Amino acid sequence: MGPAVPATPTELGSGQAPQEGPEELVVLAASSLQDVLPMVARAWRTAGGGPVRFSFDATSRLAPQILRGAPADVFVSADDVWMRWLEERGGVEGASIRPVATNQLVFVVPRGTSDPPEDPGSIAGADFSRIALAGENVPAGRYARAALESSGVWSSVEPRVVRGGSVRGTLEWVARAEVDGGIVYRSDALAENRVTLAFAFEGADYPAPTYPGAVTARAEHREAAEAFLDFMGGAAAAAVFSALGFGPAGEGTDMTQGPSPGLDTSSGLAGSSGLDPWSAVRLSLIVAFSAVLLGLVPAVAMGWVLARRDFFGKSFVSMIVMAPLVVPPVVTGFLLLSVLGRESALGGMLAAIGLPIPFTLLGATLAALVVGFPLYVMAIRAVFDTVDRRFEEVSWTLGVPKAPTFRRISLPLALPGIAAGAVLAFARALGEFGATVVLAGNMEGETRTIALAVYSLLESPSGQGATWILVAASVILSLGALLGFEGLSRWQRRRMEDHHGR
Amino acid sequence: MGAEGWGLHVQVRVPLDAIDLDVDWRPGRHHVAILGPSGSGKSTLLRALAGLEPRAEGRVTFGDEVWLDSGSGIFMPAWERRVGWVPQDALLFPHLSLRENLAYAGAGRSEVEKMAESLFLTDLLDRRPRFLSGGERQRVALGRALLSAPRMLLLDEPFSALDRPLRAQIAAMVRAFARDTETPIVLVSHDEHDAGLLADERWVLVAGRLTANGTSA
Repeated sequence: MGPAVPATPTELGSGQAPQEGPEELVVLAASSLQDVLPMVARAWRTAGGGPVRFSFDATSRLAPQILRGAPADVFVSADDVWMRWLEERGGVEGASIRPVATNQLVFVVPRGTSDPPEDPGSIAGADFSRIALAGENVPAGRYARAALESSGVWSSVEPRVVRGGSVRGTLEWVARAEVDGGIVYRSDALAENRVTLAFAFEGADYPAPTYPGAVTARAEHREAAEAFLDFMGGAAAAAVFSALGFGPAGEGTDMTQGPSPGLDTSSGLAGSSGLDPWSAVRLSLIVAFSAVLLGLVPAVAMGWVLARRDFFGKSFVSMIVMAPLVVPPVVTGFLLLSVLGRESALGGMLAAIGLPIPFTLLGATLAALVVGFPLYVMAIRAVFDTVDRRFEEVSWTLGVPKAPTFRRISLPLALPGIAAGAVLAFARALGEFGATVVLAGNMEGETRTIALAVYSLLESPSGQGATWILVAASVILSLGALLGFEGLSRWQRRRMEDHHGR
Repeated sequence: MGAEGWGLHVQVRVPLDAIDLDVDWRPGRHHVAILGPSGSGKSTLLRALAGLEPRAEGRVTFGDEVWLDSGSGIFMPAWERRVGWVPQDALLFPHLSLRENLAYAGAGRSEVEKMAESLFLTDLLDRRPRFLSGGERQRVALGRALLSAPRMLLLDEPFSALDRPLRAQIAAMVRAFARDTETPIVLVSHDEHDAGLLADERWVLVAGRLTANGTSA
């Protein structure tokens, strides 16, 4: 590294040539800073600073990455809980921790909501049947809970809370009117024109979300890192921050006073939100069984049609059925939400007859079914391909028409194979994550299946015990299902050999 | 032999892989054999008669019933034609016991047991097809067809897996059944001897064409 690296912001304006070359400053930062930090970095470059490369993700994922040796110089956390967690483990230099910016929690409602609430007291009423918060292990999720506790409405709101993953996901639900309102950061609310900002959690009673930044313990560009941290906390950056809805660094919760109430490390980070592993196992089994039952008749019909019939557009139908096998599950979930969400015609009708799909057990079941359906159909189609159709022909010549022949011959001959397909779909349903989290959210006791619970626990440093229960349950159930599949497939083959192996 | 025969008139064309089956056939005697080398279209002709050959074009009539008239789009499905089709490889339903196979078309318990006795199958009634020899399977398939109250028997090499003495016994039993129930028989075989056991009239099918080959009375 050359001597051209500016050590302090005051040196930046001195006309030195910006530093070029591979000496990039690598900054890991909370997702909510995704829009603003690149703008701050541009100002920093204009002022003579070197190149900066960002990696944005949830703070809860970034902090463990840093401990595992991610090649970063600067870490900007979404709250001081994770920053302290990292400091205790030697991931960052304690002395370098300083506030970089602040944010504010706001309550948003879908645009067009008549009579939006004006204060926390008014969301305690029954008008708000679903309120979205970010996940418990995401800083925004904990801040939101703390804000509602400070307002004294947490206990009445809690049963109606829908936990999303990130702030962004929470905001998307509000924007799509899947929920009646949600708590997000002011900066996020300003960037989304499909929502209306109802009120802010302002004042000393409420936690002021602060973004602390620090130099990492493994930083290779220590001086530049310090300089960039100072720049972010300085006046030039403050203008950029406030343009996007952030507050200046000084207004945050004082770092020296420790975490504010409701944000202390022990209760904040743990699965102390009452994550019950057995509830997740039970839910997974319910979801997987219901998906398999719900899909049985369609899968048998589709498998039979694809094996036995030729018709115009057959390859197109086959492609649509198989699509969830190759389309990312998250995309499948998004498409399902678009078709079945409350905003859509179909979803609206279903909700009107008391079958709402998003954030319900039914939604989780549908997501699991759609993603498992290709395996279900593929297995059954293969079975009908191996059942000699001349058995059906013999039955016809004996005076038994098509429908009873299907019931008395085709179906029983294919039964072990159909069961094998069901078991395979069951296994896939157990493992479903992507489509479920988008369509059905991550709600304890409602849609938090094993995969979602493990995901939540992995973001929480103290959830290890429960994680291992879930991991064990997941592995045992999945391998058990595969074993069942093997056995049933063997039974099917043997049944067919009865005839062919003369 | 009367000009009308026993009422079956088959004028069909079926495109096959190598050759086309193209016949205009009016059998005279009640029990006819169609002889011919393998690959000549014998099994296809039986399938066309049974209503299992969707590619068949032309006209098939039985008495005053029209089974097929592709010109006017008539196709009587197999379950209405009620022919007793005994395929060469028996095709016993593998998930059913012998008893259930024999009773498939709705025969009662005593009928099934009587049939089993006349086919020497009584001891095997509760077994599954997988535990049977080829000859035993052929006999079950025959019994299953006879118990379906067929209006015609279509036998495809029905004795190929039976030894000679048993062939004669089973053939006698089938003839007795046909006489008592006035059921005509169409048998295809590549074996002159088998044909002689059942048939009064012979036809030869070569390369898709059917020609009369005299009668043996």
